[in-house]
Amino acid sequence: MSKTGSLSSLHILDFTGELGPYATKLFAGLGADVIHIEPITGDPLRFIGPFYQNRPGKERSLQFIYYNAGKRGMVIDLNKEKGREVFVDLCKGADLLFESFTPGYLDGLGLSYDVLSAANPKLVQTSITPFGAFGPYSTYPGSDLTCSALGGFLYLAGIDNEKPVRACDNQSYRMAEVYAAVGSSIAALFAQRTGVGQFVDVSCMEAVGMALETAAQCWDLEGVLRRGRGREAGSATIHPCKDGFIALVAIMGRNKVMWEPFVEWMKDEGVDGWEAFDSDSWINASYRESREGYDLFCRIFERFTMKHTKQYLYDAGQAHRVAVSPVSSGKDLLENPQLNYHDFWQRLNHEPVGGEVVCPGAPYEFGNLEWHLGDFAPTFGQHTAQVLGECGYSRTEIEALHKEGVVHVAEP
Amino acid sequence: MLPNLRKALEGIVVCDFSWVGAGPIATNVLGQCGAEVIKIESRNRPDLLRTGGPFKDGINEGLERSGYFANRNPNKKGIALDMSHPKARAVAVRLIKKSDIVINNFRVGQMEKWGLGWEDVQKINPRIIYVTMSLQGETGPQKSYMGFGVNLNALCGLTAQACFPGERPFGTGTNYTDHVMAPSHTLFGIMAALLEREQTGKGQTVAVSQLKSAISMAPMSAMAYAANGETLGPAGFGDQNAAPHGLYTTLGYRKWIAIAVFGEDEWRALKKVMGNPAWAEDGKFGSLQERKAHEQELNDHVEAWTRGQHADQLMNELLRHGVKTGVVNDARGAIEDGHLREREFWSYLDHPVMGRTLYNRAPIRLSKTPLRLETAAPLLGQHTRDVLKGMLDYTDAEIATLTEEKVLV
Repeated sequence: MSKTGSLSSLHILDFTGELGPYATKLFAGLGADVIHIEPITGDPLRFIGPFYQNRPGKERSLQFIYYNAGKRGMVIDLNKEKGREVFVDLCKGADLLFESFTPGYLDGLGLSYDVLSAANPKLVQTSITPFGAFGPYSTYPGSDLTCSALGGFLYLAGIDNEKPVRACDNQSYRMAEVYAAVGSSIAALFAQRTGVGQFVDVSCMEAVGMALETAAQCWDLEGVLRRGRGREAGSATIHPCKDGFIALVAIMGRNKVMWEPFVEWMKDEGVDGWEAFDSDSWINASYRESREGYDLFCRIFERFTMKHTKQYLYDAGQAHRVAVSPVSSGKDLLENPQLNYHDFWQRLNHEPVGGEVVCPGAPYEFGNLEWHLGDFAPTFGQHTAQVLGECGYSRTEIEALHKEGVVHVAEP
Repeated sequence: MLPNLRKALEGIVVCDFSWVGAGPIATNVLGQCGAEVIKIESRNRPDLLRTGGPFKDGINEGLERSGYFANRNPNKKGIALDMSHPKARAVAVRLIKKSDIVINNFRVGQMEKWGLGWEDVQKINPRIIYVTMSLQGETGPQKSYMGFGVNLNALCGLTAQACFPGERPFGTGTNYTDHVMAPSHTLFGIMAALLEREQTGKGQTVAVSQLKSAISMAPMSAMAYAANGETLGPAGFGDQNAAPHGLYTTLGYRKWIAIAVFGEDEWRALKKVMGNPAWAEDGKFGSLQERKAHEQELNDHVEAWTRGQHADQLMNELLRHGVKTGVVNDARGAIEDGHLREREFWSYLDHPVMGRTLYNRAPIRLSKTPLRLETAAPLLGQHTRDVLKGMLDYTDAEIATLTEEKVLV
């Protein structure tokens, strides 16, 4: 069945940098027309590694390549009055504008939401910032680590008195971006139905609040300040094996039915000392949490796991209906048979580096909407002339704007 | 508040078969935006999360005290409908006729067993957005492999780097992918399908893979390996592009402050707040590259300075000077944080059994159609009668019969 669906009627401006690009990537993946706008100094993400073949360069940042593939790119200097005029012209034809400027910055340039929505009442403007568009912290600088810390998310990534560890890929940014995409798509639907656009305010600090699991309710209902799971025998534990680590959830709460397949697996493998697992003491969470219980569990289980690979343990555990999984490295993910069965990994021909960049594929599948990775991430100013042309600027005008440094047009 | 403001998703109806984590989190957000979410449960098959802690006052009794369940299900109407009863399908069909979205996160085949697979539902209502959620897709060699969020964190690559060098990986300490990747991509998928329906008038299927959506938000370990043959190592609390960048002990029980210094301006600002100590002028801390090369020593110096201070005061001082920083809040700290409070991130809703308890808003502020937390999570079957009578046009007599026949339990 061929898929013909696309969000191609949506016109989106993306004036974000390190924080923001995944939001519009979600739209671009379903065919929306996304124009990634950069300042004259370049999107800061271009200068952040890892880089293709480990060689830094404006067109070589893997993050820039991934998050901005499928978008067109242009360069405008908002510090120039003519640049601001061009920006307002672009907003007149847009359904959605995403930006991640410090709250107040655009207002200071005379580009407040009121000004932009006067030019285009249907415009949905989505601001993605560390702390949001208002509130006592709104103009403070923030980073992934500090937003994760303040929102209560980081505290969970550790046990007892240990300092927390940080998840990879700036998760507080990713969470804000994905909710910015959700919020703006909701506002876009409302705008299509009513003709009324609005301002969407998304903050990283709030976004991490969606990842607190039970922590807020543990405090509110029981007066307990919980930390992470990870040192309760067999319940969300990580164990070393021959070539890395595995994650195991063999029991939760007092669920004996869950524990039995694990005991069966240990017995079938002839694990030295497996009989110790065939005891009701493991059904008791406080025993599993005790030093004695945890250490005994690890001693027996890890003598076994250290003899095997994570792939073997994954398959063998799953065959016994035990929730085991490998702690995947990048290499493991690229070789993952399930992902490869679905041809998940995409090879993006990134012309500016003259090579292929492997990127993740579709996160979902639709009956009719088609997902695609799209063209390689735009080079600096690649589509400036094209976009301005569509906006009604003549070739001479575009050349003049380029000469004055109002926009940057890449060499053809 | 402003009662005349409209709701963004007013008129959208969700027939919600989903349970436990990811599905209910997604429909929770739709409900906060004004969709009418009808949550289907049965006493014979309650949402498993109703038996998961924490519980009001720590008392694990019955099905109405779980905070884990409550926070995922405000604003929803709960109906009791035993889908295993042959007469239940007709009730579900009436609801589907009035719905825009049908969502479930059962194993493949369950909805089909009830005669409510996509092929059936499409005939009942061709405008339906039909949402399914799986761990790793509905086909392939590992399609039936099981896992919880903790397993998926590990599988998708999130856990490997969330690790102190030389120790075993830790991860987020939560079922992260369940709470973040799966529901957020489900929501965006639903909205994309609704936007397309505006053009075509037709519904469609949306199938979300937890693993694939997770990798889409954590892509770098695989991309870097493919591009450079390089494995990204344990990150601890560090960052390749910043130093100092970490968590530093302050006064108090389990109190740390996060400090993240990226550029030279930020480093100068931090030095100024520290009182420009002599050690910081050493050449080995003179550039980012140098600071990364001597990171442990740098962190020890910074911690020697933070150790005797109060985290909140230090944070205010550093922020005033433009240094990126934040206290490592525990849940209480986040709940009592003045910024989140002013932004009305937290709400307390009144529940017949639990009383006034805490909920959080989705992290979206819409200026003209604000999200709302209006009613606490439903008791099991609390709205069966309201929904059947008020929305599905059943008569009192029909409802009585269905109740007697144990369809509405």
